[in-house]
Amino acid sequence: MKTAAPASPVGLASNDEAALLDLLENLKQRHGFVPREVSDEVSRLVEVKLERLRRIRSQLDTTLRRDVQQHVTQWRDEEGNLIMILHAIQNQHGYVPREVAMELSRELGVRLARIYEVITFYHYFKLQPPGAHNVTVCNGTACYLKGSGDLINELRTQLGITEGQTTPDRQIHFDTVRCIGCCGMAPALVVDGKTCGHVKTTEVAGHLASLRTKKEAVA
Amino acid sequence: MKTLSRQDLEAIAATAPGTPAEWIRVQLDTGGIAAGAETVHAALTQGCAERGLVIALRRAGSFGYSFADPVVEVQVAGMPRILYGRITPELVDRILDEHVRGHRLLEDHVIATRRRSVALTATVTQLLVRDTGPEAGNKSEFFQSSFIEELKRRGLADQVQVVRAFDLGIYDEGAVVQLLPEAVTYANVLAPDVARIVAESIAGGKVIDDLLWTTPDKQMRIVLRNCGEVDPDSLEDTVHHAGGYQGLRRALFDRTPEEVIAEMKASGLRGRGGAGFPTWMKWQLTRAQPAPQRYVICNGDEGDPGAFMDRSVLESDPHSVLEGMMIAAYAMGASKGYFYIRAEYPRAVERIDRAIQQAREHGLLGRNILGSDFSFEAKIRLGAGAFVCGEETALIASIEGKRGSPSPRPPYPSVRGLWEMPTAINNVETLACVPAILTHGGAWFAGFGTETSKGTKVFAVTGKVRNAQLVEVPMGTTLREIIHEVCGGVLDGRELKAVQTGGPSGGVIPAPHLDTPVSYETLQQLGSIMGSGGMLVMDQTDSMVEVAKFYLKFCVDESCGKCAPCRIGGYQLLQILDRISRGRGNAGDLALVRRICQAMQKASLCGLGQTAPNPVLSTLRYFGEEYQAFIEGGPSYARKVSRAASTKAAERASPAVAEAPATSNP
Repeated sequence: MKTAAPASPVGLASNDEAALLDLLENLKQRHGFVPREVSDEVSRLVEVKLERLRRIRSQLDTTLRRDVQQHVTQWRDEEGNLIMILHAIQNQHGYVPREVAMELSRELGVRLARIYEVITFYHYFKLQPPGAHNVTVCNGTACYLKGSGDLINELRTQLGITEGQTTPDRQIHFDTVRCIGCCGMAPALVVDGKTCGHVKTTEVAGHLASLRTKKEAVA
Repeated sequence: MKTLSRQDLEAIAATAPGTPAEWIRVQLDTGGIAAGAETVHAALTQGCAERGLVIALRRAGSFGYSFADPVVEVQVAGMPRILYGRITPELVDRILDEHVRGHRLLEDHVIATRRRSVALTATVTQLLVRDTGPEAGNKSEFFQSSFIEELKRRGLADQVQVVRAFDLGIYDEGAVVQLLPEAVTYANVLAPDVARIVAESIAGGKVIDDLLWTTPDKQMRIVLRNCGEVDPDSLEDTVHHAGGYQGLRRALFDRTPEEVIAEMKASGLRGRGGAGFPTWMKWQLTRAQPAPQRYVICNGDEGDPGAFMDRSVLESDPHSVLEGMMIAAYAMGASKGYFYIRAEYPRAVERIDRAIQQAREHGLLGRNILGSDFSFEAKIRLGAGAFVCGEETALIASIEGKRGSPSPRPPYPSVRGLWEMPTAINNVETLACVPAILTHGGAWFAGFGTETSKGTKVFAVTGKVRNAQLVEVPMGTTLREIIHEVCGGVLDGRELKAVQTGGPSGGVIPAPHLDTPVSYETLQQLGSIMGSGGMLVMDQTDSMVEVAKFYLKFCVDESCGKCAPCRIGGYQLLQILDRISRGRGNAGDLALVRRICQAMQKASLCGLGQTAPNPVLSTLRYFGEEYQAFIEGGPSYARKVSRAASTKAAERASPAVAEAPATSNP
């Protein structure tokens, strides 16, 4: 009786949620309930969509697995390869994502705890994604003597965050580093990989402004 | 690519090194690149192309003059080799037009050679002047114009160019004049001497003895012999122009492994990583251990903040370190080597990696090296930012892919090290010495230095010093000579308060002890250590309590937490120091500090914990009154001190206000 009517509009609505909702509302108003055929059809659509998304996810998983496998193959025959593989992963992602660490654990046959034990021991490995831009103050002794503390304070006030944090808009990550070996140009500041020497507190604002304009240009 | 053979190396050793007559060399190490050396190099390439100039443009590592980065060296036919400091891309046009084409030096950028002559045989072509007296009354320009006037009067103005130099390597000796090309140098020149110099030396070709600067340069470059002189990315350059792999050839063909060790024993070389263990003994012990496999490790985990000599050597002369490692491996019967380098030094890693590849391509790594029965492979392992990994057993754990926790010794690595096999761990600088010792002989090396500390040592002199740079001096040179004569004394002419050596494991040496000759033993007697070679100069404005706190904080952060004395002791010590520095210390605190320090020194598992109290103890020993003042003065005194420090910071920043807008608008 009413079956002919809903079939085609439901098919139409498969990629348009608003239209589907309209249709259901319409049916409810007209009949006071949603016919079984229609709800079955909706469930089927949900399955189709989920299947499509699952396929995308498994594709992602495969890329992730392939990436990890690639790193592992490169170091397969080397003893004590874990740290070198972690370096490769961090170079690729900027940090060590949890899924990657889990995949690595499966791939190497090493317990996840052992991998995390190593990651958390070394300062160099990060568990959080880095900001879009990075500002790093060298806090080696030479820089310390020449006022890196003032630079850190200035950055704290300007950014409103402390070392090791990222601004709420995830744009600027602020950190300190032990020593970058540029003691001749102390105090040194690394702005997105570029080292600036003999930095004065009055110049900090300028460096941040240049990062912010870069950010807008990218956006 | 062509494989090198024993005969090739012998042939190269027999021929005198020939260098092309004309080249420009840019010093591209991390420090130089940070100061803009890459853009200078690019500008030079472009400038040469625009002008159609055919001149070899070369890359090199760093000479060690960090204060002058970026550094460019120019060799043009008929002129002495000239080193220019603080070169910007804007100056590149002037180098090409004035120097390369016009044969005239640039004003204010020349760094004079440290190899000074006392005899005058060639005609003087250039004259460098600089007033090295107090900066306020700088009379360089006055002397320059006086010389020009005098030369004009004698009709010599066209033959001799008078240039203001950027740095002459002589400080606080009044006006200094250097006559090029031979680098005859006069110091404490007064206005009446101008006419004499022109008449007697320039026109007459005679040396004026009463003005002559005869003090030879304190430096002696063995480790840094090739730094800034070779292209670190080129095996050919190292082999053909710097005697690269000749030490290896001698070791493989002229000596048995035992003889190599004997040569090392004769040289008296001791580990340059800090502890000063005799290198030959380390090799001997590793060799004596029966095992199917032995390893040699190069420790390039330069974690000491404020030290950069290992980085500089790895970046500027990677082949020498590799060669040193191969000789070590031959001597102790190892067939595998690892470079353990900090991940924070990407350029050093890249250059060592390239050096290994090139060596492999030329048959210097792999099986039957140079046709001998010695086989060797080298690999790189990256550190990941843990100071404790400079400690032998922790470093081994890290190479094995584990947490860098130290383990108790014995067994020492020479008995049971990497993968349970006998392992020798040598510092970068130690390995860089080895080829030179094999080439020139152990006795030659032992000719430098003191009774117990032989050879030379590289120091990274930084902090409140006029010219922050790498210095290589024979052991036994005094701290005063290093800081005042080589590096030009304290920044802004202030008074020196103390010198810190050995980084977080070392201590401070106060001004009254500046005349101490540097050696492993003397520094230890003063409560510091040689360490890897960081040397930080501190002036009167630096608070010693703060400095001790800084180093202690570093060690507390870096403690691996395995043993209680280091983990808990360090933290408690830091709490007490923090309390004192806020003026909330009490009378018993200093005694308590000493007791905790003692416990840490005696009971800690590894070197990190055992030496962490050193900065505290040595500041307490020499500057105890500063601690007392904080305790007796209370919070009001502490506030006064910190306020004084922040006004000083403001003063430091204020002269920059005028120039700030220019730099802050990129």
